[in-house]
Amino acid sequence: MKLTLETEREQFAESITALLDAARVPDAARAWAAGDHAPGRTILSGLAELGVTGLAVPEEHGGLGAEAMDLVTAFRVLGEHAVPGPLVESIAFVPTLFTGLSDVDDCAKWLPELASGAVLASVRSLPLTPYALDADLAAVLAVLEGERLCFGTPAASLGSVDPTRRLFEVDPEAGVRAEGPAVRAAGAHAFELGALACAAQLLGLGTGALRMAVEYAKARSQFGRPIGSFQAVKHQLAEAHIGLELARPLVHGAAITLSSWEVSAAKRACARAADRAGRAALQVHGAIGYTSEHELSLWLTKIRALCAAWGGNAFHRDRVLSGTREAP
Amino acid sequence: MNIVVLVKQVPDTYSERKLSDADSTLDRDSADAVLDEINEKAVEQALQIKEAGEGEVTVVCVGPDRATDAIRKALSMGADKAVHVCDDALHGSDVLATAKVIAAAIGKGDAPDLVLAGNEATDGGGGAIPAILSELLGLPQLTHAREVSIEGQTVKATRETDEGLTYLEANLPAIVSVAEKINEPRYPSFKGIMAAKKKPVDTFTVADLGVDAGEVGLGNAWSAVTEAAPKPPRAAGQKAEDEGDGGTKIAEYLVTQKLI
Repeated sequence: MKLTLETEREQFAESITALLDAARVPDAARAWAAGDHAPGRTILSGLAELGVTGLAVPEEHGGLGAEAMDLVTAFRVLGEHAVPGPLVESIAFVPTLFTGLSDVDDCAKWLPELASGAVLASVRSLPLTPYALDADLAAVLAVLEGERLCFGTPAASLGSVDPTRRLFEVDPEAGVRAEGPAVRAAGAHAFELGALACAAQLLGLGTGALRMAVEYAKARSQFGRPIGSFQAVKHQLAEAHIGLELARPLVHGAAITLSSWEVSAAKRACARAADRAGRAALQVHGAIGYTSEHELSLWLTKIRALCAAWGGNAFHRDRVLSGTREAP
Repeated sequence: MNIVVLVKQVPDTYSERKLSDADSTLDRDSADAVLDEINEKAVEQALQIKEAGEGEVTVVCVGPDRATDAIRKALSMGADKAVHVCDDALHGSDVLATAKVIAAAIGKGDAPDLVLAGNEATDGGGGAIPAILSELLGLPQLTHAREVSIEGQTVKATRETDEGLTYLEANLPAIVSVAEKINEPRYPSFKGIMAAKKKPVDTFTVADLGVDAGEVGLGNAWSAVTEAAPKPPRAAGQKAEDEGDGGTKIAEYLVTQKLI
């Protein structure tokens, strides 16, 4: 099994990186948290032009019909730059769900619009995703309950540890859009893609936080030399780096098999690695890293929120356990 | 319209660049190699012209094996095909030899209506290739363009130099070199990157092009680097304490430097 990226995927990652490097993402994230979505939407349209929003949509529905490996490549970079918005929902979960139900007109008609990045989507799916992210911006708000799919409207808004994550309760509409075992199957598959995209996003967030910490350790001096030259600091950063490096092949492996327990292993490993990288970054930055004014806070809070999103640690550990028991 | 864009792979501007100890040519292994930014702008300009009408964009590159990465990038942005001249004999060639090789490479394809280039590469910084090429191909040159437009069989360009703006016009075919302000190059999209895999790249050696090997390479260059030293680190400046007479001290300093 080949777990390193091919040249084309590296190029795709470089393209997204170049776009986001030039886009002042932290400013857009702060604006997003404050209710001004224009800068964030501009970034999302830039990503759409690169094809990011079309990855999970088949070609016959106006998308690119890319592989899960392409999706995780994109999400790693999105995480690295702490891009705000309902990314997993609009780019991974809902497109996959609607592709699975593309014989339902209500679902199929959204696919080209999702692929082009013209609209955002969000989802509520009990029990793991009880609140819909950025539901007020979503043109389509899916409410998935077992074998039943309906749409919904946003209700009360709730806070998140990550101020750029604006969660909403959802009022389901009366009409059922699709019903039956096909809905359950499509929902299950979409969940795997969503959880995997979230894992890749966490991997990127950890990488981003670590990079900031490494830069800070080289620039900040104490006792007459850069703090990065002290072993205690170096070791923390090295440990965080190793954690991220070891989580990466799990993401790539799960992108190939898409088996439940491997997706869970990836999500769990990425959550742990990102959490460790975030904590190391916080320690290395000292008191300044703790302030909401410092950009690091955008990464720290998003890591914290995504660790619990798309299934928390206990859920995913449980799936790894039962999956590895069944495995031959 | 048949558009040829010249591209070059250069060491990343943000990395430390140096010359090799052995022969004082560019040490390509010491830094990351990238498609020169000014060439990205030239490719972008070619694509905009193509998209406004119709045509084909061919990328021409002279460089070692790994220059294929730079070619891939241009193809991912949307260029249609590429010509890569790759030959160890070219190592250390000067601008005259390089221009001859480029002219021969262009001659391998259909006659171009427009040749686009960057005004100068970030590594060598000679900025002479477009002019020499115009002489060799017998085409008019419109250099340092910050705006280019095609109207029928004419190309118009706004040339920007330290002296100001000049408005140039020439009949096609012509050579245009673009400057920094011309445009913002696009990022290669997923579709573009995947499509680039299937685009044709013709590779030629110097012999394939019919260029005499005795005209190219370090040994046949008209200029030679005999010695190179890294830039000395900046010396600490003079500090003047302001005790109410700061202005006078600065003025005195400027007088000693014959600046006022």
